[in-house]
This record gives sequence, C-alpha cells and structure tokens, in this order.
Amino acid sequence: MNKNRPFFHYLTIGAVLLYLLVPLLGTLIYSFSTQWHKTILPEGLTFHWYGELFSDSLFLKAMGRSLILSVGATILSLLIMVPAIFSIVVYAPRLEKFIQALIVLTYAMPGVIIAVGLIRAYSNSGMPMVVVTVGAYFVGILPYMYQGTRNSLRNIQAVSLMEAAEILGASRFTAFLKVILPNIMPGVLVSSLLSFSILFGEFVLVNLLIGGSFETVQVYLYKKLNVSGHIASAIVICYFILISILSSIIVKVTRSRKETL
Amino acid sequence: MSYVTIENISKAFKGQTVLHDLNLSFKQGEFVTLLGPSGCGKSTLLRILAGLTSPEQGVIKIDGCDVTNVKAKDRQIGMVFQSYALFPNMTVSENIAFGLKMQKIPSETIKQKVARMVALVGLAGKENAYPRELSGGQQQRVALARSIVTEPKVLLLDEPLSALDAQIRKNLQKQLRTIQQELNITTVLVTHDQEEAMAVSDRIYILNEGRIAQSGTPHEIYTKPGSEFVARFIGNYNVLEGSELSIATSEREFSNRLYAIRPEAFSAQYMEDSYTFSGRVNKVMMLGNITRYEFSSNGIVVTAEHLHQSDEDVQEGARKTLYLHKKDVIPLS
Repeated sequence: MNKNRPFFHYLTIGAVLLYLLVPLLGTLIYSFSTQWHKTILPEGLTFHWYGELFSDSLFLKAMGRSLILSVGATILSLLIMVPAIFSIVVYAPRLEKFIQALIVLTYAMPGVIIAVGLIRAYSNSGMPMVVVTVGAYFVGILPYMYQGTRNSLRNIQAVSLMEAAEILGASRFTAFLKVILPNIMPGVLVSSLLSFSILFGEFVLVNLLIGGSFETVQVYLYKKLNVSGHIASAIVICYFILISILSSIIVKVTRSRKETL
Repeated sequence: MSYVTIENISKAFKGQTVLHDLNLSFKQGEFVTLLGPSGCGKSTLLRILAGLTSPEQGVIKIDGCDVTNVKAKDRQIGMVFQSYALFPNMTVSENIAFGLKMQKIPSETIKQKVARMVALVGLAGKENAYPRELSGGQQQRVALARSIVTEPKVLLLDEPLSALDAQIRKNLQKQLRTIQQELNITTVLVTHDQEEAMAVSDRIYILNEGRIAQSGTPHEIYTKPGSEFVARFIGNYNVLEGSELSIATSEREFSNRLYAIRPEAFSAQYMEDSYTFSGRVNKVMMLGNITRYEFSSNGIVVTAEHLHQSDEDVQEGARKTLYLHKKDVIPLS
C-alpha cells in the first residue's frame, strides 16, 4: 500500500501540472507558429508575431500606460496607505474593524458594478477618468497592502519598537522612518509587487472607465483577439513572462525575509 | 531626599481601576523593585513612570521636576522591555548608539561611549552582530546597554529576565546589580519573581490589586510580612490560624487570627523560649542544598526546611520533635 502511494502522488501532481501547463504551452507554441489550423503540430516556427508586436507602437504605448496606471496606483498606496495602516495598527487598533469592513466591501462589489457606479458619479464631474481609475485601483489593492503591512508590523512587534525608540529620544516620525520602515520593507515590497501584478492584469475597470481613450495592455490584447490569434498569444506570453519575473522577486524577498526573522 | 516621587497616581482601564491612589518615592541611586502577581498593576505603574501611559490623576516628579505631562522621549528615562525590543535592522553597536544619535552627540563621542558600554555588558566582539544572531541573554544585555548609555535619570526594567532560563537569569541578576551600583543609577525593576526581587533590590514595594501591600528592605519584607497576602506571596511561609497553632503546640496563647512562620525557623535542636511541635514527617522533598518536609503535629500540617546535611537525615514517616523560637511566630494583620 505504502509502495503505491508515491506513484499515486506523482500521478496527481503530474495531472494537475498537465492541466495547468497545456493551455500555456499551446499558447506559447501558437505564438511561435506560422500556421496551426489543420495539423497536430504547427506547420512552421517563426518570431514574426513577436517582431510585429514589438514594432507596433500601439503595443509599446499600451505597455507604458499599463505601467503608469499600475505603478502610479501602487506608489500612491505606499505613500498613503502604509503610514495610515501603521497609525491604526500601532495607535488605534480599535479602528481596525473599519478597515476590515472596507476590505470586505472591495471583495463584495463586482468590477462591473464599481465601474458603472464610478461612471455615474464622476462622468460629469470634470475629473479625468484616468484619475478616477487610479483612485479605484487604490481602493482595489487595499486588502493586499493592508494584510502585508499589518502582518509585518505584528511580526516585528511594532508597538514595542516604537516605545523603545521614543524612550531613547526619537520623535514618532523619526522612529517610524529609522526603525519601523526598514523592518517592514520586505513585507511592504511583497504586497506592492502583488498589487502591481493584479493591477497590471486588470481589464474590467480600465475597459469600462477609459477603454479606447487610454488603451492599456489588457484592452490592446482584447482588440487583438479579433485580429490575430498569434499576436494575442504573443501578448499573453509577454505578460506571463513579466508576471513570472515579478513572482520570482516576491518569492526571493519572502524567503530572505523569513531568514532574517 | 526623594529623587523620584509618585503622588496619588490612579489609573483605570475600561472603568476598572487598576491603580488606587498610589504614593511611592525612591532615593537617588536606589534599586527599587515593584513586586506582585500578574495583573497587580506593577507594569502599568512602570509605564506611567516612563510616560507610555497617562494616569487618570496624580503627579510624577523626577529630580524635583513635574514630568506628569512630559512626553516619553523627553523624560530622560531608560527602559528595558520584557521582549527586549531591539531594532532588528541595526547591529549591536547601532542599537546602543541609537539614543546617543537622537541626542545629536558627535560621532567620535558616540563611538567611545558605545565601546565602553559593549565592554561593560561583556559583549566585546559582538559589535557588528544583528540581534537575531545573539542568544536571549546577549540580547538582553544589548537592551540594557542601549538603555543606560544615554545616562538616564531613571532606569526602568520591565520583567527583563523573565524569558531567560534559570542559570542565565541568575548571572544577569548579579551583573545587573553590579552595573547599577557602579553607575549609581536609580533603577525600578518590575517582577513577579520574589527571589529575583530579594537578590537585587535595596527596597521592595509589594503590589496587590493596584494597592501597595507592603514596602521595605528585602530583609524587612521577608522577616516581617505584614499581611496574609505578603506572607503567602513572598515565600513558603506557613500561614496558620491561632486556633491551629494552639492545637499544634498544645499552648493557649495565640489570640491573633493568623500567624506566619518561616519554614527554616523550625529547628531540631532544643532552644530556650521556644514552642515545641511533636509529630511525624509526612513528605520529604530534596531541593538541592535544602530539605523541605511536611510535618504533622497533632493533626496540623506545617512545612519545615533544613539545610541539607547528611547527619540530619529526614525520613518519611519518622517521629520528630521540632522547636520554634517564640519571636519567629509572626502575627499577621
């Protein structure tokens, strides 16, 4: 019985991996194939679609816009949310329940409903919809930033560290800057990367709120789906490589963080 | 003349009073211990002294100045936390230097002071180590060095040794007392460990339910417990009712409700002016250099202790006569 177990485990893991990798492998091969319609394997391999993709200024611009939106919202969140979460966790823990309620709300609202609500609220306000989107993103990544920052603060026993620093003559601002921030940085970095990855792949809000006027990678991909499956596959592969790089950074930072604790 | 005075301090959490109108005073250079069971309010009092918690009423004075409304960072106080609270991103040297940097002291002076502190607490060679690379005892010594390098007016110690094992704790107690005397720094220790309090203090305040149960030198506290609570908390005192003592000694002169008797006050040798307890040894416990045993005299059980000596071997079930000097029967209020 015991001898059969490893085989069963390998079989299960193999089946799961196959289920996950086959579509990706298919997409990868399709992005390199000249034609793949009537045969089991592609008729030929080519870099043509990637060449075409990277020579399209619209794609590069869309990449840039996606980066601006995601990085902008993440940085804004870092600047506002981290000090706010720090203040609440350390000085007013009883307010944490309100933050938690906000987090539940962000999960409870489907993207389409948020988008329609935002359009109704802001379309005639004169505020550029790009700004509204960044604002919506800011709220959307609240759960990730909150969890990461709060857990880091608890891990380092931030309350005791602040008290120790204050007794040694540091102002609250100095104590936060010199003692708390360097120690929660790995956790905050992981949350930021996670938030960035999620925002970079976001489609519903950006398509409904700004769509064609501010084309991001996801909107570009959506349009290309109707033009060429090969190019769409190439976009998906590029996107996947970028997210893989980010994920490996997250794993590396998390590991080094565990080693230091 | 008092160096630190705590006048009429009260504190309540969620309507529950944890400190009742406390008055304490410490002399300069004195090592004072706030001793009491968990929840007696000793840590809250320490935090109020540090400026980390505000009292509902009362005044705190340090070196003649009213510091009740002064922020923690401006009180010139050093504090060692139970959890050490060392800065994980800084080395031993950087941790110790932090307070000096906040005071904007020239870097050359900081280097000298840090080196002196590192040597004082016996951490030479560990200057560039991070807290995670140190043992619990070493971390606690860094915390101590960090808190005294700024030459604070008062050093506060919040159960600093409770997380350490017995041997290291005893070594650090000695080291703590030596450093305190060397620097002549007014020190307030919070602990629930009565042995620790006895070992290091000039004076002990025993707290119970937010009130001072008794204060005095370790000798006074140990030899003259003022109440049942102190007698039970401070050691292995026998606390007996007057009627029980009458039965045990067959004498009728115990009019007080309760009496306390130190277990080591019993002697197997006859003494003048003493009470006699005749009975049987029930249970014997070997505690290294001490033999502790339960002794039943006319059905009343008391605990007695003797220094462990082979010629005074105590056997379970053996009949024995013990003598207790009359002055060692302490009436409790």
